[in-house]
Amino acid sequence: MGKEESFTRIIKENEGLIFKITTIYTENGQDQKDLYQEIVYQLWKSYDSFRNESKISTWMYRIALNTAIGQLKKSKKHSNKTGIDQVVLRQTESYDTEFENRLKMVYEQIHQLNILEKGLILLLLEGKKYEEIAEITGLSETNVGTRISRIKQKLKSRILKK
Amino acid sequence: MDLEEIQTVWSEMTDQLEKQKKLTTELIMKMTQERYRTKFDKITFYETIGAVVCFVMALYLLVNINKLDTWYLMACGIFTIALLLILPVITLRLLGKIQQMNIVKNSFKETIVSYTKTKNQLLLMQRVGIYLSFVLMFTCLPVFSKIMNNKDLFLQGKIWLTYIPVMVIFLLLFTRWGYKCYKNITNSAENILKELET
Repeated sequence: MGKEESFTRIIKENEGLIFKITTIYTENGQDQKDLYQEIVYQLWKSYDSFRNESKISTWMYRIALNTAIGQLKKSKKHSNKTGIDQVVLRQTESYDTEFENRLKMVYEQIHQLNILEKGLILLLLEGKKYEEIAEITGLSETNVGTRISRIKQKLKSRILKK
Repeated sequence: MDLEEIQTVWSEMTDQLEKQKKLTTELIMKMTQERYRTKFDKITFYETIGAVVCFVMALYLLVNINKLDTWYLMACGIFTIALLLILPVITLRLLGKIQQMNIVKNSFKETIVSYTKTKNQLLLMQRVGIYLSFVLMFTCLPVFSKIMNNKDLFLQGKIWLTYIPVMVIFLLLFTRWGYKCYKNITNSAENILKELET
């Protein structure tokens, strides 16, 4: 299998992962599309350096999160804030309205976190262990644990306030 | 909404996303289109430069055509001008046509059919161009010699003895290299298109 073919297959298999990252790190549909393209481009650029030393998903999360955070920092300088309504939450029409409302609430909670916390909660929700989160983010395992418990507290306190 | 609830919604969404491949398919089509187009960029650039050189030469001949004072020099002049104008235009048009093919809009079958047709036309044009350049070799030298030095080379046999072998060797090597470049580029672009089938 050629390089391009195997890359395309990997992207197709993991497009949900990229989609979720673009959803939590952008505030409108156009930025989301641009970020999706940028992540795929950055993955392609670094594909040669991927040597199967880590899991493919670890490599993808690392590149995708770094790209998303980099883009967000750049765009924050001239940001034009819009609501979650404008982000594309789904890829097809298959969601029902009730589920979409719940999903919107989830994204609203995540959008209130800071840049790094967004990445951490995403990895936690994806079922990653602290060890893998540490590998992806470059933080120590203890640091990951501390930050995640802070995120949990933040979420709880918001619920209590409501 | 607590973390457990968030986790449940997230898992449900992940399951849904697993079933969908819409975004990547669209993006891959666009990336393929871009990669396909850039395959022809280099050759189009060189062909454009070549075309400009040909047009300048044709213009120079047109301006000085009255200096061609015999019927055979005039015939050579007209043939040279026509070739210098027509060949680059046809080549650039075919390159433009092959480069502008819309992979995203058309189906795979339509793309391949249209590509193969244009590719064959382009390669045929290159082969015709090769044969014509051998003819051009005989017509342009006396025309330029007459205009620039006022010498009728048809009346001087000696120069042909050195000019013809040198030019034949040069043209054989150059046209073989040029045709090989076209073959490589069109094959490589075809491979990009064929990846879409898988």
